Formats: sequence, structure tokens, C-alpha cells
Amino acid sequence: MSVLNKTAAVIVTFNRSAKLMKVLDALERQTLRPDIVLVVDNASTDDTPRLVEARALADHRLRHLRLPKNLGGAGGFHAGMEAAYHMGAQYFWVSDDDAYPEPDAIERLHDALTGFQAQHGWRPSFACSRVEWIDGTLCEMNCPRPVWDWARFLQRDSSVVLVDSCSFVSALIPRWAVTEHGLPIADYFIWFDDAEYTRRIARSYPGLFVPESVVMHDTPDNRGVNFGLVDDKSLWKFEHGARNETSFRRREGGLISVLAYAYGVRQQMRVGNVPSRLRRQIYRAIFRGTTFRPRIPRA
Amino acid sequence: MIMSQVASLKPVDPKLAEHVSSSIAEAQAIYHLLFPTQHLRFVLTMGQDPVWAHPEVVEGPHVPSPRDLGADYLGCIVRPGSHPDSPEVTIRLSIPRLPLPGEIKHLDAPWRPVRRLGTLFRVSPMGYEHIRYQAEMLRRRRSGRRHATRALPLGEGSALLPRPKAPFSDLRPAILIGMHWLEMGGAEKLGFDTISWALAAGLRVIVVASVPGLQRLADRLPDHPDVTFIRLDRYLPRHLWPRYVEKLVLAENIRAVHIHHCVPLYESLPMLRMRLPWVRTIDSTHIIEHADGGYPRISGVWSNYLDLQHVISKEVKNYLTGQFHVSAGQVLLGRMLDRRDASASLPPLRLQPGQTKLHVSFIGRLYYQKRPVVLVECLRALQSWAQKNGVALTATIVGDGPYEATVTALLRRHGLGGQVTQLPGQTDVPALLDRSDILLLPSNNEGLALVCYEAVAHGCIPISTRVGSQDEVVPDGLLVPLAPYATVRGTVAAVDRMWRDPDFLAAQKAQLEAAWGRLAADPTAEEVLMPIYRTLAAQAEET
Repeated sequence: MSVLNKTAAVIVTFNRSAKLMKVLDALERQTLRPDIVLVVDNASTDDTPRLVEARALADHRLRHLRLPKNLGGAGGFHAGMEAAYHMGAQYFWVSDDDAYPEPDAIERLHDALTGFQAQHGWRPSFACSRVEWIDGTLCEMNCPRPVWDWARFLQRDSSVVLVDSCSFVSALIPRWAVTEHGLPIADYFIWFDDAEYTRRIARSYPGLFVPESVVMHDTPDNRGVNFGLVDDKSLWKFEHGARNETSFRRREGGLISVLAYAYGVRQQMRVGNVPSRLRRQIYRAIFRGTTFRPRIPRA
Repeated sequence: MIMSQVASLKPVDPKLAEHVSSSIAEAQAIYHLLFPTQHLRFVLTMGQDPVWAHPEVVEGPHVPSPRDLGADYLGCIVRPGSHPDSPEVTIRLSIPRLPLPGEIKHLDAPWRPVRRLGTLFRVSPMGYEHIRYQAEMLRRRRSGRRHATRALPLGEGSALLPRPKAPFSDLRPAILIGMHWLEMGGAEKLGFDTISWALAAGLRVIVVASVPGLQRLADRLPDHPDVTFIRLDRYLPRHLWPRYVEKLVLAENIRAVHIHHCVPLYESLPMLRMRLPWVRTIDSTHIIEHADGGYPRISGVWSNYLDLQHVISKEVKNYLTGQFHVSAGQVLLGRMLDRRDASASLPPLRLQPGQTKLHVSFIGRLYYQKRPVVLVECLRALQSWAQKNGVALTATIVGDGPYEATVTALLRRHGLGGQVTQLPGQTDVPALLDRSDILLLPSNNEGLALVCYEAVAHGCIPISTRVGSQDEVVPDGLLVPLAPYATVRGTVAAVDRMWRDPDFLAAQKAQLEAAWGRLAADPTAEEVLMPIYRTLAAQAEET
């Protein structure tokens, strides 16, 4: 809770200009509009730069941060949040280029963060929306992780749930959390950067799941992150996910935690009948993760 | 059409707006008094610190820099000077944020052993304590070389030159009471008592605290229009305290300054002696610290600048008169006792030889000073003794503090979780003492622990380390050595001997009662200080 409410929307994009324009349209319709809309362009090769720059001429709130090369989602969110931090933002609304917020999505998140502290005194480290797929069902890959006492403040007149992890799809993060805990790890490149970051900032106090705030995630299909779904096309993403989560578990829980994770991955791949050549690739990624120790960047 | 607004223009939560407004008003009041004619410019930012406003004062022209206008910049408030050429003063303040519930509950972070000795603590908590004790004793031996132990000289001035006189004031006289902070503690208790006594004597009371904190006991100050708490601790840099005190004394007709471990007020003493010599200066001190002598040493160094030095024990009195050559008339012994409690007759001390049930208590803040780790070890050793002798031992630990989690963990580790109850600091202490046989106080240091006196008054026998003036309340047979292992052995030996030897027990009871009687006969702090406060109020009426 702050008397200062300057808010920056940080959207990371790569070669999805049409969807990105829909996201920017949705931001235009917000009942609480961000002061800054920062499009972090991961060196898109489509017409994204042209469209964003044309739009920025008409909308002074829109900033185009074009990265020299594709740094992945993790690098994009790192660069975007760092830039927004130095622009003086007090809140960071982070999201993907294919997630369309409903008109009151950001206002609901804002109200939840500030209202919770006014009512209970505690400072939540983030607030996240309910992410729905295009058919209105829950988006499998964007389900936040509740804490053990998740229902502590869930009452008749308050639907807020305590969570310690969410994806970077419509999450509102206060400045103090960035100041105290740093920025997302760019070296992760893709996958698990959001889970690592929100778990890191939730050490101060858990975040809030705000179901009244809704975004639609326009993904090709509605699949969760399950190693039973590894195929040739998605292998590279799963490899990054396995390496990053292993690295995180090594840092936070030691080798026992890594072993437990590896066992869980193995079970998922067995149930999913993942071919052994792909399994080996995942195990190699887990092994690489045991020595992968990226620095936690400070703002 | 959706009505929308930009996030930065969202209305501020009313509770937060009130907090910011009242914080600004508090700070403004301080600086308006300190710089009454200057052109003031307050540069305000929203802080992330719940206690300290990080004040910075620039006297003279100031050119704003990007540092003044960061992400947390709130704005600038100008108070014009009394004339166009008034000098400029710029005050940078970072408005403290509202404290979180966890910060309100625990001011201090949970205690952790020194990193390099963390493994030693896990293997042997008492080994760790022993090393800490040896380091403390080493500092004690060296303290004379490192810290001043002579009183600062004070020239009286010549009669040839005029001496400043108190200006006329139509305000009722006031006293400035400087506290360390408004949190739990023995010195703080006396500070709160003196506030009530000064108020009862007819003085207006202005309270300040030296250490920035949440000042969680501020709401226990008397709810009276004559009591004012000024948050210098939060909004005024320390080097400006003497200048502020000068203005405050003149503005509020302050006739006395009473220091309770408030270092910036010691630093204001030269200003008081030179410019406001009519202001009486009083100081209260309690414990001579091993490492540096603590506040009694500071008081001793400033003794020529003080009119009266109030102490609570003979040890501190002898220290001031012996080490600093303070005149006996300047040092006033006033016990921290309540005469109303002392007037009641003493109940019999409860412990009997050979009794089969024994309840042991500890009452105190869980800080290193009370040595909670040694306490747990004492309980562990007593439990072992009790098992061998067929005694059912139970214990209660009362207190909060950074050692709370460590104590809980050690009790579990030693299998004492079932026998030992941990209670918060607000527990009904008299009721607990009424059902306790023995009170343990294995402190690293004490002035004169009031809880031992209270224990005797409730039929409970205290066993204490031989520190400070504990020998004034606890007989030799119940004083144990300070070295951690010896404390544990001595505690068990004292309990064992009282339990086995009726003559020894009877002798200790008799000596405890005699010591209690001697203490009760001494003047209390109230009896020593009230006449001074009344005189101040009366003198001012005469003028």
C-alpha cells in the first residue's frame, strides 16, 4: 500500500503482432489504466516494431523496448521490469502478449493489494488474476500455487486466496518487492522464471489470487506443464523448465529436493509414455540444472 | 463507455493518507520550532522504513538534484521565512511506512548464533555460551583502556561576566524526560513512573526518545493534556538535538531535564550548562555493563554537568562516587520499589526440604542479558536432578524476545517440552510467583533485579548469578557464579542443598527476609524524585 500508484504494464512479445495489438487494445479499455505500457520486444522479425512504434506516436504512455536479440520470456521480463523500475513505477503489471485482460482486471488487482494491507496490515508480495483459456475454462498452465493456509482470508465477503507462486500472466507486483528481492532471472531464458520469482518475493508475505480479476490466455491449446506431455516440438521448453526448476530446488532445498523433483518428473514421463530418447534429454537437463547457478539480479 | 483513470491518480487509502498527513505534521512542528524564522523547504519521499524518517537538513541554499526526486518523491512543502532574506533550510524526510503486524509483534529479528560459530552452537549451545562469556570478560578487562572513566571538567565561570537567567514565561513549568525508547524494559519502567510522578507534582511533561523505534508503549503514556511525546527519534538528526532542546526549553518553560538512557540529551548537557544554566539536570542509571560500563559510566563522565544522579543500587552509587569522585550528595539512591507493595507483610517462603513437587519459574525478556540458553541448560540439569531424587519438576518461562524460538527449539531438543511452559510477557506474574517454589535468574548482568524482590514478596526463593547488586537481595548461598557451566552447576547445587539440608534452607529464608526488609527500608525512587519535582513546580510558581 502506497500513496504512490504509478503503474507500469510490462508485456513481453515475440513475433505475435496481431495478438499483441489485441492486448494493447485491452489495456486501453482498462478502468484503471497503467501509466506506462512497456512493450518488451524480443527482437521480433514480424511487423511488431512498426505497429508498436506507430501506436506509440498516438499514445505517449506506450514505450517500445526492443531487445537486441531474443532473450526469451525470462530475459524480456527481467529487462522490462528493470526498465519500469527505473521509470519510477510503484506497481508492475506483467503479462504475456497473448493474454487479454478484462476491463477491470488491473483495477481488481490494485484494489486487492491495497485493500488487503489496509484491512489486515500485511503486505502481499503480488496479486494475480484468474487466467482463463479462450473457452472460459481455467488455463491449465497458469494455475497459481496456494500456500498451506490458503483459506486464511477466504470469507463470505472476501474471495482472496493466499498463493506463493503464479505465472507472469496478469500479475501485479509492488515496487517494494522488487527493491527487496530483485528482478526475475534472465538466465532462465524460458519457463519457471515466473514461478522462481514469485516464490522468491513471497518469502516476505504470500501473494493473492484474485478471481474477480480475469484475463483470457489465447494459447493454441490448453495444456498444463506436465512432463508426460513432452514431445519433439516442445522438448526444448521442457528442457529449460527442468534445468531451471532443478537449479531453483538445488538453491532452496539442496540435493534431496532435486532428487524428489527428478523422481516426480520420472513418474510423469512414465505415465505419459514419453519415448526414452526424450526422457534422456530431460534427465540431462536436470543434471545440468544441478550446476546451473545464475545470479539473482538486484534492481 | 468505460470511465477510466490512470493508476497514478487513484485515490489514496484514507488510513494511509491520515498516516502520511499526521507524520508530516509531527515533523513540521519539530522544524518550525527549531528554525522559527528561516525559509523552510520540506522535501518529502515515501519511505520503506517503518521507524526512521532518515532526516537530512541542509542549511543554506540548496539546489534540487535527481536524488531528491526519485520514484518515491511525494512533494515539497514550503514554510516562508519571517522576512525575504531569511536563510534557507531544506529538510529531506522519508515518511516511515505503516509497520507490518509482524514488526509490531517482534521488534527484533529472531536471534541467530554468529555465523562462524553456528556449527558450534548446534553441537554444543553451552560451548557457544562459554566462548561468548569469555569474550565478554575480555572486553570487560579492556574496557578501562577503551572508554573514558574520568568526569569531564566543567568550569563554573567568573562572576565578572553575566550569567544567563531564566526568562519570564507565563507557561506552567515543564520537565523534559528523555527515554531510551518506549519499549519494555526496566529503565523504561522507571521512565514511565517518572512521567506520572512529574505530572502528579504539577509539572507539564515533554517526553522524547533517543532510539528510533515503533515506540510500542507510547499509548501507555498518561492520556493527559500536559503530557506531550515529541518524535525526535524519528524526524531529527542527532547532531541537531542540542539546538532543538535549547529552543524547546525556552519555548516550553522547561525547568528540568531528566535523562533515562537518552544519549542525545547527554550530548545536550554542554549547551544546557552554558546557555540555560537554570535548568536542573537529573540522570537515572541502572546497570554497569561488563563491556563498557554502560550508562552509569556515561553518567559518570558527564557527572559535573549533572545536578543529580539517581541510582537504583549501592553498586552504581559506589561506582559513581568511587570511580568518578562524584559527591555523595549528588548521587541519590532510590529503589525501584513500590512502597504500597512493601507495606504488606511478607508471606512464608514456600520451599520445604524433601518436597516431591517443585515448580521453577523464569521471568524476564528473552534477550542475551538474561542468558536464555543458560536458563534452558539449568532446567535440563534440574530435570536430571529431579529424576534422580524422585521429584516432579515443572517450570514456566515468561517473556518475549529474539531468543524465543531458540528457547523453544532447545526445550524440544532436551525433551523438556512437556515440563516447561512458555508464556508471553503479559502473563500475570504475581499469580505465577504465588505458585512457584524457585525463581531462576541466570543473567549476564543486572542492576538490582526487581523480580527477585517480587519473588520473595510472593513466597518464592530466587537463585541468581552474582552480578550487579544482586547480593543486596539474594544471600550468598543462592548466588551462583557467572561462568555458564558454573552457573548450571551452582544452580543445581543450591537447589539440592536447600532440598536436603533444612538448616541451610532455613538460613537462606532468614537471610532473604532480612535482605528484603533492608531494601524495603531504603527510600524508593518515587520518594527521592517526587520532592525534586515538587520543588521545581513550586519554585516556578514563586518566580
